[in-house]
Amino acid sequence: MKKNEEFFFRRLTLNKILRKMKVTIILLLIGIMSSYAELYSRDAPISIDMQNGNLSDLFQIIEHNSEYKVYYKTSLIDETQTVNLTTDEMPVSEILALALADQNLTFDLSDKVIIITSAKEKANQPQTVTGTVTDGSTGEPLPGVTVQVKGILTGAITQVDGTYSVVISPDADTLIFSFVGYATEEIPINGRLVIDVVMEEEVTALEEVVVIGYGTQQRREISGSVTNVTPRSFNPGVTRTAIDLLQGRVAGLIITQASGDVTIQQSVRLRGQTSLTGSSEPFVVIDGIPGMDLNAIAPQDIKSISVLKDASAAAIYGSRSGSGVILITTKSGISNQSTIDYNGYVAFDVVMNKPDVLTAAEWRKYTADNGINTEGLDLGADTDWFGEIMRTGITHNHDLSYTGGGTNNSYRASVSYQQREGVVKDNYQERLNTRLTFTQKALNDRLNVTLTGSMNMRKYQPTETRNFVLSYNMIPVAPVKFDDGTWFDSLEYDQGNPVRNIEYNKRLNKNNIYYVNLKADLNIFRGLNAGINVLREGKTTDNALYNHSETEQGRNDQGFAQRTSSNSDRRLLETTINYVNTFNVHKVTVLGGYSYEDNYSKNFRAQNRLFVTDLLGYDDLASGENLLTGDVTSGGSMYKLISFFGRINYSLLERYIITATVRRDGSSKFGKNNKWGTFPSASVAWRLSDEPFMRYLNFLSELKLRVGYGVAGNQDGISPYNSMELYGSSGVYYDEGDWHTAYVVSQNANPDLKWEQTAMFNIGLDYSIMQGRLNGTFEYYDKRTSDLLYNYSVPVPPYLYSSMLANVGIMQNKGIEILINGDIIRNPNMRWNVSVNLAHNKNEILSLSSEEFTTTSIKTGNAWVRGGSYNTTHIVEEGKQVGQFYGWSCTGLDADGLYIMDDMVDGEPGLTDDDRTYIGKAQPKLTYGITNSFTYKNFELSFFLRGVYGGDVLNYSKMSYATTQWLPGANVLYDALTIGLEENPKYNSFYLDKGSYLRMQNLSIAYNLNTNVLGFNSFRFYFTGQNLLTITKYKGVDPEISMSGLDPGVEGRNYYPKSRTYTFGVNVSF
Amino acid sequence: MKNLNKYMNLFIGLSLLFALGCTDLDEEIFDELSVEEYGKTDKEINSLIGPIWSDLRQYPDYYSTLEVSSDMSVTPTRKGGDWWDGGAYKEMRLHTWTPSNSRTRRVYRDLSSRISRCNQILFMVENSEGIEDKEPVIAQIRAARAFWYYVFVDNYGNVPLVTDFTDVSLPSTTPRKEVYEWVLSELNDIKDVIRDDVSSSSYGKFTKGAVYSILAKMYLNAMVWNPDGGPKWQECIDACDEVLNLPYSLVTNWKDNFIVKNEGSPEAILSVVYSLTSPWGIVRASLHYLDKIALELNMNASNGISAQPSYVKSFDPDDKRIGWSFLIGPMIDPATGNTIITAHNRPLIHTIDITMVYAFDAEGWGQTEQEDGVRCFKWEIPKGLSARGVESDVFIFRLADIYLMKAEAIVRSGGDNLEATALVNAIRERAFDDPAKLYTSVTLNDIYMERRFEFAWELMGRQDQIRFGTFLDPIPDWKPYVSNDRCLLFPIPTDVLDANSNLDQNPGY
Repeated sequence: MKKNEEFFFRRLTLNKILRKMKVTIILLLIGIMSSYAELYSRDAPISIDMQNGNLSDLFQIIEHNSEYKVYYKTSLIDETQTVNLTTDEMPVSEILALALADQNLTFDLSDKVIIITSAKEKANQPQTVTGTVTDGSTGEPLPGVTVQVKGILTGAITQVDGTYSVVISPDADTLIFSFVGYATEEIPINGRLVIDVVMEEEVTALEEVVVIGYGTQQRREISGSVTNVTPRSFNPGVTRTAIDLLQGRVAGLIITQASGDVTIQQSVRLRGQTSLTGSSEPFVVIDGIPGMDLNAIAPQDIKSISVLKDASAAAIYGSRSGSGVILITTKSGISNQSTIDYNGYVAFDVVMNKPDVLTAAEWRKYTADNGINTEGLDLGADTDWFGEIMRTGITHNHDLSYTGGGTNNSYRASVSYQQREGVVKDNYQERLNTRLTFTQKALNDRLNVTLTGSMNMRKYQPTETRNFVLSYNMIPVAPVKFDDGTWFDSLEYDQGNPVRNIEYNKRLNKNNIYYVNLKADLNIFRGLNAGINVLREGKTTDNALYNHSETEQGRNDQGFAQRTSSNSDRRLLETTINYVNTFNVHKVTVLGGYSYEDNYSKNFRAQNRLFVTDLLGYDDLASGENLLTGDVTSGGSMYKLISFFGRINYSLLERYIITATVRRDGSSKFGKNNKWGTFPSASVAWRLSDEPFMRYLNFLSELKLRVGYGVAGNQDGISPYNSMELYGSSGVYYDEGDWHTAYVVSQNANPDLKWEQTAMFNIGLDYSIMQGRLNGTFEYYDKRTSDLLYNYSVPVPPYLYSSMLANVGIMQNKGIEILINGDIIRNPNMRWNVSVNLAHNKNEILSLSSEEFTTTSIKTGNAWVRGGSYNTTHIVEEGKQVGQFYGWSCTGLDADGLYIMDDMVDGEPGLTDDDRTYIGKAQPKLTYGITNSFTYKNFELSFFLRGVYGGDVLNYSKMSYATTQWLPGANVLYDALTIGLEENPKYNSFYLDKGSYLRMQNLSIAYNLNTNVLGFNSFRFYFTGQNLLTITKYKGVDPEISMSGLDPGVEGRNYYPKSRTYTFGVNVSF
Repeated sequence: MKNLNKYMNLFIGLSLLFALGCTDLDEEIFDELSVEEYGKTDKEINSLIGPIWSDLRQYPDYYSTLEVSSDMSVTPTRKGGDWWDGGAYKEMRLHTWTPSNSRTRRVYRDLSSRISRCNQILFMVENSEGIEDKEPVIAQIRAARAFWYYVFVDNYGNVPLVTDFTDVSLPSTTPRKEVYEWVLSELNDIKDVIRDDVSSSSYGKFTKGAVYSILAKMYLNAMVWNPDGGPKWQECIDACDEVLNLPYSLVTNWKDNFIVKNEGSPEAILSVVYSLTSPWGIVRASLHYLDKIALELNMNASNGISAQPSYVKSFDPDDKRIGWSFLIGPMIDPATGNTIITAHNRPLIHTIDITMVYAFDAEGWGQTEQEDGVRCFKWEIPKGLSARGVESDVFIFRLADIYLMKAEAIVRSGGDNLEATALVNAIRERAFDDPAKLYTSVTLNDIYMERRFEFAWELMGRQDQIRFGTFLDPIPDWKPYVSNDRCLLFPIPTDVLDANSNLDQNPGY
């Protein structure tokens, strides 16, 4: 049977390609992939020209021209019956099918053996089974799927609309649906005449086309470290941006939700932190447009996401790819086919965990037990201040898309609307993403033009985190409002009514991103294509704020109003030339390109205070009576980036693959002595499984060893003009009764300023065994980032300022990533797939000094507790990781409630700053994700666990509020009564907890309705729960906290608690 | 096919055009100014010189180092830990500061920046082609730089002396004596060049009066800062006389020096000009959170610096400067007429005594009740104030100081006590209703005490105490011991030494 399958494999490859051609934009692939198909099939077709022969002759010819042996009982063969057969390059199986068709014979093909048997008598009339085949992830119909009756080679292929019709004999019991890139489905017939099938993409298929920088490659051809994620593996439930889809799914891509605020984006780190100053966020490319904002795309429009993990893959993006690259590909239209898809859901958010502050009863018990006079303080109320500022948040989401097209064109239009409420009452976000893509072919399909327009609007109110601080401090015996309806308020330090703040103060932020993108691709001659990519993008923000004169936030200014707006215009032009050719066993792809980009930004802010009335809010700034110097500001900036890049791929026998890239980037942000940087990379891959000596290992479908090295850059830490000596305005000076603007040199100029440079070595092994039932990847990397940007200390004088942005330090990240993916059960009715990914990363700072700059350590992070200014939490030091906690080491509290501190670190008794030491590490040792998905008939169940092992968390609220000394006038954590601290809270290791956790990130149950009844293409109901369960020893609110910057791992006292989300939704396609 | 070729040619042509044509990385600058292009007109040049005057606003903010290390004020740790701040203020009070103390570090770093900026502006002016008469402008800049070095000599002594902006080599420490002599020579160089008008036009700028005031300070402290050079009492008297000959005069109503619109005070010699945008923060730092209710303010205060009890108690009860300088006693809510109650359920009464209760540590430091201690009330706080501080200007030098300096130099040099007494009485008579409180003759101690009563919160305490030899003395109830004499100079901060290995730490640290 093996050979037969391969035969189908080959034909189906071509079918897939034909479909792709309609679907996608890349004409280029035709050439590459059809030549692949030829190479891949081992069932070499043979040509026969036989006149007046018989079957024995035919079998001899077959044995002669192929590797098959034919076995048959001679009694079965009628030697007298003549056979006339002429075929041109036809596979053996087809030849046999033709020859045996009218002789009541049939055959079985196994590995190198053909057995001829007698066909059974057909007692009854054959029947026709019909149905529709759809794609499980998109719900779109699948054309070109082979439908085969099990045991018989004849079958059918689905039409453009996914329908098929196949004639079966009465004894047929099973239909086989197969399509390259999808998991083969075997469906029992059970007497049905209509059988609809949903097919799932086979992620591990070697033919999977993966988007890489400036092009695509088949999975098998890739020599760098690239992870591709398709909708089947996206996180279900409420998603704000594309990055939500990936959390926990990609080994080494650490996505942290540092806050429950629905307007705040997750922080993303790929293979560790690589910068002291810049964001370390991966570079985002959407449909080939570099440098995009994640808010510029709705999650529903995404077809696939590629993560370029190592520098050999990422270096094609040069000076912006040092932290990795995320490539997002969107869905596009399909020729000759129209579909309407709707996805809608409602979700409910309920807070997961709140700070445990004293209740009114606990407060009263404490004051009574300690004989504290509470007259005047205890107003008889019982207020849960955190409860008062929170609610159940409701989210609506509606995604609608329409695709269609003619023979030479296709289009897709989509609208995605989401309105989301946070669990804190002032927190919401409303977003609208719309997108229209139109593709037209011309010049005999040699020119392919795609025009995309997109409009993305966001209106949101981030939470005022000050209200969390107030909720900690406000005493529970004070009411929100008095009985007569007037507000209670407090003027004490860090106190004020947070409910009043939320109800009266307004923040309205608007953020719009518009862009239009034109791509054209011209096939000049066979194998040579030229492409052009033009973008015009505009972004605007408009933030408005009003603090009401009676609230804690506005009372100081007697009303404070502010408007901030900014806009930026980006222009991009890229041209590429691409050449592909195959010479026998050699395949070469060459890419060359040029890119120009500029960006102009303007910003403006105005604010005023002391308003006669609060009624006008931020809409009439002029009516404020206290406009001060500096209340109106504006500014502008621009930058340019010019690049040349190239790539060569060479593959020999599809076994030995070499890729080399180079990019040369020039940026206006760099200092005048370092305007241009070069970023080279190279990688090789060896597909061992295709070696002749490995062929005997039948269980092995793929084994590939990859090694790569590359150099990428990061210029995120540099703002325009950072390198220059400029005069900037700096307040006012008094001259003869008037105030005039003063100008000062605004920074220490650094003409040597340049990118941070990341050099990375990567070695990986891809494996797939038992027809892909078990597959995965092992990877090891070692990356070294040098020329780290930081505001290093310099002496004053001679310098004007005590710090200067310069390229000095070196940092290393080393790690291992493991991916194991397996189908534990794979049968027609039931599937159970488990996927596990693990990543370990070790970060170390190797150097902070150079000849010119000497830095022994950087103490950073603010350990502010009431009365604890000028205290730092972290140290950045050679030989340590970013996130090294540094402070006093405390082993507990003594009988008097005083910290037992190690005061001998400096060798002398007495606790001083010199007794501070290394007390914890914020970075986890291991991050992991475990996906389980079950399919049983029409039901789907999946759940996803995500976890972190190792790493310490600073429980900042415990440090601030686990003390009784604020009682009775300010509230504290319940911990204050139990830990028995009797001195000023001080930052020390007492407040560091283990941050390991395992979280059920989501659980999803879906049911697919039998769609033929209702006339839909597909109809699916689902429920998803997010953040359902967390297992951790951490005692604070949540161990998942911000991991960005130089002081990660701190759960601050303004931490916004996260929520559990319950989503009910429906997908319809018609 | 012809058509196709045309398209192809166009395509390739365009690609090549872009690829080869555009490699220009020039920037356009929008909200800042190119150093090469700006500074051509008088107006532009003024805007570049302006910072030397507005930078003076930094100086009064040194109070948390200069005031709090003297025995005239203290920033106690309040119940609950406010103002503990890693022990920074405790170290200032107990004279146990280290090179990493945040308060002394802040002053050192600020002084360094001020000097670098003066050098940069001086370099700019010297090389500018747009200025016709450079001499008076250069004199202003040199006076500013000499002023900052005067503060440096006083507080840190041995510091790097850098005068050339273009020299980017790492400077070494210059001994205090040399820095002292350099400041004198700078001041003597410019004293006859600098403007000598006392007018609204020279207000807030360096004038002849200011330069002679610094000179007087330099001479008066000569025996501390440069004992090898011998006493300079006569030079001090002469410098004071130069100022006295200028058209300054003492205000009759003492409070006029501290009202919101105090820029008209004839007593002001060198003024720091504040506005509501950039106000002075000492009042805000000092008042209790709820004092705003009693004073009818909108400003949020932070309950910090208070007057040292022994200092307040040293005032004559009839001295009106107690009430003019300090906020004392119960704070009444005007709405109810009752004393305000704090979060610790205690009446808000600012007692002179500051009692250390709770959690004493080995050195006797503890926490005090939130409301303890009298607060800074010297500068006018108008009702309804919502800024981050007060708008009144602060006089770095005012005529009363010159009177008392001259009196001191006369007494120290054995001069005419009658003249000295008259000078002191001229100051003293504004503070007392009873003429019997005036002196008939003055001792050095009388002058020392008069300086303390007159200049509460005006950053004179430390320098005066060192000159009068009381700086290291015990402070009743707070510091039972004589301080280590290294405290006469502040340490060079650790991070400054880290950034420049050519620098030396001051002795004893």
